[in-house]
Amino acid sequence: MKNALGREIPERIGERKLRPFKGAFATTPTAQKASRPQKTVKPGENKVLSSIEEAIEATGLSDGMTISFHHSFRNGDLLVNQALDACARMGLKDLRLFPTALFPVHKPLIEHIKNGVVTRIEGSMNGPVGAFVSQGGKLREPAVLRSHGGRWRAVEAGDVKIDVAFIAAPQADPYGNANGIKGKTPCGPITFCTVDAMYAEKTVVVTNDLVPYPAYPFEIQQGWTDYIVVVNEIGDPESIASGTLMITRSPTRLKIARLASEAVRASGYLVDGFNFQGGAGGISLAATKFVGEEMAKLGIVGGFAMGGGTRLLVDILHQGLVRVILDGQAFDTAAIESLREDQNHVIMDPGQYANYDSRGCSTYMLDAAFLGATEVDLDFNVNVNTHSDGQLLHGIGGHQDVASGAKMTVITIPTLRGRLPVIVDSVTTVTTPGEVIDVIVTERGIAVNPRRENLKERFLAAGLPVRELKEIKKEADRLTRPPRKPIFGDEVIALIEWRDGTVIDTVRRVVGWE
Amino acid sequence: MNVEDTIGSENKRDCQVTVTSASSLEVQIEAGNKKLVEQGIRQVIEETAATLKVKKAKINVIDKGALDYVIAARVEAALRLAFPSTNPIEPHVSRVASKRDRPRRSRLYAPGNNPRLLVGIELHGADCVLLDLEDSVPPVEKAAARILVKHLLATIDLPEAWVRINPLSSYGRDDLAEVLHSRPHGICLPKAESAADIDELATEITRIEKELGIVEGSTLIMPIIETAKGVLHSEEICAADTRVAIVAFGAEDFTRDLGSKRTQESLLFARSMIVASAKASEVQASDTVYPNVEDEDGLIAETKLAHDLGFDGKGAITPRQIAPIHRVFSPSKEEIGEAQKIVSAAQTGEARGIGAIAIEGKMIDRPVLERARRTLKLAQELSGEEPR
Repeated sequence: MKNALGREIPERIGERKLRPFKGAFATTPTAQKASRPQKTVKPGENKVLSSIEEAIEATGLSDGMTISFHHSFRNGDLLVNQALDACARMGLKDLRLFPTALFPVHKPLIEHIKNGVVTRIEGSMNGPVGAFVSQGGKLREPAVLRSHGGRWRAVEAGDVKIDVAFIAAPQADPYGNANGIKGKTPCGPITFCTVDAMYAEKTVVVTNDLVPYPAYPFEIQQGWTDYIVVVNEIGDPESIASGTLMITRSPTRLKIARLASEAVRASGYLVDGFNFQGGAGGISLAATKFVGEEMAKLGIVGGFAMGGGTRLLVDILHQGLVRVILDGQAFDTAAIESLREDQNHVIMDPGQYANYDSRGCSTYMLDAAFLGATEVDLDFNVNVNTHSDGQLLHGIGGHQDVASGAKMTVITIPTLRGRLPVIVDSVTTVTTPGEVIDVIVTERGIAVNPRRENLKERFLAAGLPVRELKEIKKEADRLTRPPRKPIFGDEVIALIEWRDGTVIDTVRRVVGWE
Repeated sequence: MNVEDTIGSENKRDCQVTVTSASSLEVQIEAGNKKLVEQGIRQVIEETAATLKVKKAKINVIDKGALDYVIAARVEAALRLAFPSTNPIEPHVSRVASKRDRPRRSRLYAPGNNPRLLVGIELHGADCVLLDLEDSVPPVEKAAARILVKHLLATIDLPEAWVRINPLSSYGRDDLAEVLHSRPHGICLPKAESAADIDELATEITRIEKELGIVEGSTLIMPIIETAKGVLHSEEICAADTRVAIVAFGAEDFTRDLGSKRTQESLLFARSMIVASAKASEVQASDTVYPNVEDEDGLIAETKLAHDLGFDGKGAITPRQIAPIHRVFSPSKEEIGEAQKIVSAAQTGEARGIGAIAIEGKMIDRPVLERARRTLKLAQELSGEEPR
């Protein structure tokens, strides 16, 4: 069947009947939320175990079950590999892995896929695991990629039943309260997996820093936690930034950032109470910096800035340019420190900021947001998931959630990466539909979605270089011969879910080249 | 294989091309994203070889994300090195000659041998882009750089394209012969010291213009004055030829020549001399570059000084310097308003046959009126450009 964007979606995958994407806000949930078994821990009971193996034993984890992890240590995570090694040693098979995201550090997972320890993955795969899975025939069922909010929704809705949630906690107490901003190796908020802790059959907090009761703030609560395991290492906080945090020095990228900030200024949204999302990529980071400078110049005091937290956002808070930062994750140590010390730097979870099936999202309060893309097309659709060669590349992150919510979603992209065009006729994979993308800013000009005629008029009035997207594309295409295109077969490698649980696109196996 | 046989580099946005002998045309490509880009790169290589009529060679290319024109330039350079009798590629370029007096607030330098720094050079709003074959290019790369600049000029639209050649006594004649195929708007002559230097260059340009069927006299000249002798002879340099539309000052070489330190005081005489020489021949004057790219305040202060001294523009060594330079050299709203008042008062005066006019009791004499007209003309020419 075809979805609303004309993308071919299978009727079902295994036992799961798929729902095609109908539009950004086209569905309404009707069911009750999922639940977990009731349980009572009585006074004096011990919840601390001595090893991951012991926890696997105690939780009754067995073949075919689902285990989950968070990615707040990003490329410094050490728990996923430890836990899967333990599962392999204990002879477990056919597990479904449900991480919030995987990174290059999780390359050893490939062996566990080959050995049948892991046969299904639902979660973002950045790096070698994505490349491996993209070859096809590696998993029993297609991978499922969801946004931050989409993953939360899937757990609440019971689309994914977690059997055991393993939660890497930089600080925890013996009763199972835990947080990510303190301890020996803080990584920033660990609230991506709050929903796991609340809905999993069994919740296991794994820490390298067990402190006397109570460990706070209560990002993870004792009432959700079945067991606590103490290990030597859970992650390397030096790696959380994974190289994304340098403000670009490239004149081309700085020009894009400058134009993006000028678009915000001209949009009419840049007034007192302005709420925005700061990006972490090179261009978005620079654009955020320029917007901050603009606010200072105009004497504007914003409402909230939404993270991932960075030193840059912390500086903007300290300068009094916003009242508060809302953060679901931290990208550097300055952000973590600020979360600990500044009560106007607030931890939030994806249920609060991004969940479609909820009674409100923080992203819906955003005026402007800067997001990236690996490809965009002439319908303003955005791809962040796959490379132009069809390989799985990145997770969705909060892309869909933020783009749906912000009054003005700005995609900042260079028109070429090396020899590869970024503006294409039709994106390899749709992550986020054009209906929620307002502006695309490139070094060759600004394209405004025809749905936003009012923005276009404002930009023109401000003298900004507004151009048709296809004109910008034509200019960039003159510089390189078009790349070859992959031919896709029938085998579905991954499903891309829209944030409401419908399927917006599939990633299929590459079987040849045009 | 010795170094000279390899053209280009393995730096980002460049490619490295090596040619060896073979009995037919063989192409070997190494590239990131090979599956996606190999076919396109191969087409460029084969078309370049065909244009050069090379049928027997093994061409080995290591691509690091080079644009098509870079690949074509590297392949041409490598094939001409391997087969010295090969004629250069003559791109089809139609370019409208530049007006002598168009606004030239900024002159952005870009090294002619570095594709990474040339990417997007057309996008930063510089009034003139100077592709450099002189100081930024080491001798071993001169040949490849002039071919790269030729291909760039044939592909990328620049508002005004200049090539800084080497002195005619070294590589300058070869530079001219190559780059004039792509019809740059103008040629910068470094270390200009006399009218004879300009005559020699103009004669050579005229010869090549005739040969290539370019409208005679359409290629402008920008002498760069950067020696004591050049400063003292700046009057004859500016007056030497109608091709001379703008003269630039180079402070680094000048202070070296003088044995002085670079201070605003030590440069004052040269700057004033150059501006006066330029204005006497209706030539524009462009100030030297500001070398500290991190110091925007210093750049603005020096640009204001140059503006006050009568310069029309200033050199830039990074795109980041363009916006501050343009802010200083573009008339402000207040200046435009003032100029409009003066010009319209003069028109009213003329209509009534009154010679001397006054605004708010202040006499407006002829030079003030001329300046007001220039301000309005500049404002008119700059209208429609992006803000900042």
